[in-house]
Amino acid sequence: MWSPSRCLARLLVGLIVCGAAAPARAYDFSVDVRTIGQGYQVRGFAPDGTNELLSRRRLTQYLDLNVFDIGPDSWHGDDGGRNVFYVDASVRFDADFGGYILGAPTGVNSIQELNQNGLDILYAFLGGRNVGGHVDFQLGRQLHFDLIDFYAFDGADVLFHATRTFGVEAFAGTEVRGTLPLSSPIYELDGTSAGSRDPATRPAQNSEMSPLAGAALVAGAPAGPWSARLSFREIWSATANQQPGEPSSGINQEVVSLTAMAAWGNRIFLSGGLRYNVLFDELDDEQLALRVKLTPRQWLTLEHDFLAPTFDGDSIWNIFSTGAYRDLRASYEIALPRGVKAYARGFARFYLATTDEIATTGPYAGQDVGAMAPGGRFAAGGSVGAAWRNARGMLRADAYWDDGYGGRKAGVDATTRVKVRAPIELEGRLTGYTWRNDVQPTVNSSGVVFGAEAGGRFRLGQGVHLHLLVEDNVGTYYESQFRGLAMVELGAGL
Amino acid sequence: MRRWPTGIATGVAVAVAAAVGMVAALATASAASPATTQAAPVAPVVPKGPSPLIYPAETIPIKFDHAAHARLGATCESCHSTASQSTAAGDNLIPGEAACRSCHKIDHAQPSKVTAKGQGQARCDACHVDAAGNGWMPLNAFSQPPRVALPRPNLKFNHRLHATRGIGCELCHGNAASEAMVTRVDLPMMSSCLGCHNGKEAGMEAGKQSTARCGACHLTEPDGRLQVRLATPATIAAGGTGLLEPSGSLRGFDAHDMTFRRDHAQAGRDESYCLSCHRRNECVDCHGGVVKPPDIHPSDYVTLHVPDARRNVPDCSSCHRLQTFCVGCHQRTGVASDPTGGLPGVKPHNPFGTGTAVKQFHPPGWARDDAGVPIATPRPQSHSVQAKRNIRTCVSCHREESCLTCHSTDPTRGPTFSPHGPNFGRTARCRFLAARNQRACLKCHVIGAAELDCEP
Repeated sequence: MWSPSRCLARLLVGLIVCGAAAPARAYDFSVDVRTIGQGYQVRGFAPDGTNELLSRRRLTQYLDLNVFDIGPDSWHGDDGGRNVFYVDASVRFDADFGGYILGAPTGVNSIQELNQNGLDILYAFLGGRNVGGHVDFQLGRQLHFDLIDFYAFDGADVLFHATRTFGVEAFAGTEVRGTLPLSSPIYELDGTSAGSRDPATRPAQNSEMSPLAGAALVAGAPAGPWSARLSFREIWSATANQQPGEPSSGINQEVVSLTAMAAWGNRIFLSGGLRYNVLFDELDDEQLALRVKLTPRQWLTLEHDFLAPTFDGDSIWNIFSTGAYRDLRASYEIALPRGVKAYARGFARFYLATTDEIATTGPYAGQDVGAMAPGGRFAAGGSVGAAWRNARGMLRADAYWDDGYGGRKAGVDATTRVKVRAPIELEGRLTGYTWRNDVQPTVNSSGVVFGAEAGGRFRLGQGVHLHLLVEDNVGTYYESQFRGLAMVELGAGL
Repeated sequence: MRRWPTGIATGVAVAVAAAVGMVAALATASAASPATTQAAPVAPVVPKGPSPLIYPAETIPIKFDHAAHARLGATCESCHSTASQSTAAGDNLIPGEAACRSCHKIDHAQPSKVTAKGQGQARCDACHVDAAGNGWMPLNAFSQPPRVALPRPNLKFNHRLHATRGIGCELCHGNAASEAMVTRVDLPMMSSCLGCHNGKEAGMEAGKQSTARCGACHLTEPDGRLQVRLATPATIAAGGTGLLEPSGSLRGFDAHDMTFRRDHAQAGRDESYCLSCHRRNECVDCHGGVVKPPDIHPSDYVTLHVPDARRNVPDCSSCHRLQTFCVGCHQRTGVASDPTGGLPGVKPHNPFGTGTAVKQFHPPGWARDDAGVPIATPRPQSHSVQAKRNIRTCVSCHREESCLTCHSTDPTRGPTFSPHGPNFGRTARCRFLAARNQRACLKCHVIGAAELDCEP
């Protein structure tokens, strides 16, 4: 007698048998485990006016998993670059223990995103490259970065290569926010505290899911002399605990960004990007850099940056933070004989005047208080350094100096690393610097610090490394401040 | 609190001793490197031209003049007859003695054999040289000439594939026929390869294109990333330092030079390019803010971070989310303000000492005048200039509630100073922000207030 359920069962059994009988699909994987333990002292400020060193510990555990070479070789084409599927995942447990001067904030006063004793999935996705000769994709929690952006979301990203030099990309998902389970806050938009007009709803808005969607046009061959990417991205969220008169949703970020690069004759390189922030109708990030190979051993780099800080659309900081600055930077590098390299770099910063820095009333009426502020509207600095490197190690020395708005710092730094024997590599570092705060003129406003680090990296076996480092500092505020780090790395692949 | 002068001498002495020891160790280790201690029958070729990590040091104790042979009519295939069938870069394509015998009437029994004028020489020292570059002659019947040693290049290359696509030898080895000795220095560099391997149609076999995928030529790890740890005695002897790194000839900004770790934003604009060699977790290791890179944050950076944070150089937010990282540490250490401050009816209290006169984080005149009255107009010492330029430093201790204490339209919180510049209601910034996210406005303004509409 014919029975649908029996027929379905037979069909399933048949499929399972056929599937089991099919040739096994090839794949390889690697697992990397890193355990990082840190013990450190940090200066605390007690209410009675004393300084004291807080002892703290931090334990971080990474687990990285890569699965690759998925599918039979026949999928991958002549050069092995077609239909490449892979899985990339990283999980982190991070805990910071130790004392608080006044005790840890609790209850409604605790900031949810400060809770670092958690398990984070930093990224975990299935990826594909050159699928069918046209498509790259990522599916899952993914992390993206370019000149202007650094963001993570849960969702899908698909890039379709229409031709060898032109592609269209689309992506959608939800922004990774620290308040979500197993999510790290390190890549979410900054500027949203738990603040709200109604204390009862303080944490709610920050915990809302934030859908994200965007698209991009990509142009240029992978190794070609030019490339460009024009992208749009929007993140929004529904209003938590919506009250009468409140909008049902709000946009957290809406940006159009363009990045581009061009090269002429392997000697002149131009790279830059700009971002139009639709939330505020302004260009909030502009970067342009020129790099020139003066000779086969000399490079010169010139950069111009403009930045107007902007934050999550839910943040009131966008109202207060109306200033912007322009940076001019230059660096020069030269490779000298016998494995020696040297460099010099410098920057000049110009803070731009805002519309209300000319006081209209009060004791400074008619005066430019922005220009009269400590440090004025200018800052500059630079560094020089040289390094000697060979197959057994390196020796490097640097000196730096910054001054102007923000204060002064000047210091020197010497580092060495040497392979003593095959499995042992030792390292050491000496630092000394002085600093001065330009705003706070009296208390805790300047200091001198000398520090020394010593450590080593030891290969304990195939794929097993131990990295030890101790650091001690002496200076204006301590006779001794200790930090120790131990890192164990285990790597295995099959 | 203890001051530093009493302990500084000890600290500096220990540090200097450590430094001297490390430098001495480096110098000693350098002197003992395989490059100088390993016995080699012939001095390796001095590094020039291509990367020593791609083409390791070779030993060619042969005297040979390509140009002279070319003038006599020899072609590449005359001697390198197996080249066109080679499928691996590690294949030895140097012709054996048999290939020479067609013209050179060699007789091992007569090492000093003299040949007629116009015929190829047959003496051993006509071609073989010793370690000093002088002609080699056998000392006895058992003597063997110095051997050619060609370490496998760290590269994939298929001569046959290129030959079948009609690519002649001269396209890559164009200078061979005009030079005497041809060594690793004359081998093609990546810029030559990229002449065709640009991902575009190269005008060759229909339907084929020359791939620009890095792993098509470079050796790769099982997961497809390039092999970059290529330290071997032969690569070190050629001048390599062990790590294959971009030289900058491809993209300029990708050169891993002395300032790269600090200034790699321009190179990092293309994540797929970085991921050719690096794993994604290498980005997170630094940008996740767990372990401080010592060349960016030197020892005791907690003390030094003040001027850097004020200028935001380097950009703190590239590795730290301020409300996670800065506030967390500032709360632990008693620098940050009381988190309840700013709620209606609750004034901020700073355990660091604001208002207690024990210590004072902010200078006089920061938010209140000498009489304790909130400052309503901009002044050089007041917080408004700092907040406009870099409010990140403010919010490393304070939260939005702190601002709302004085900058809200709600008089129950405190003064109602407007943070908006003149004519803000007429700006596009007001209209765009109000239209896209009015929630931010409602933190200060009352629902339904007329100013929420901005002015047309």
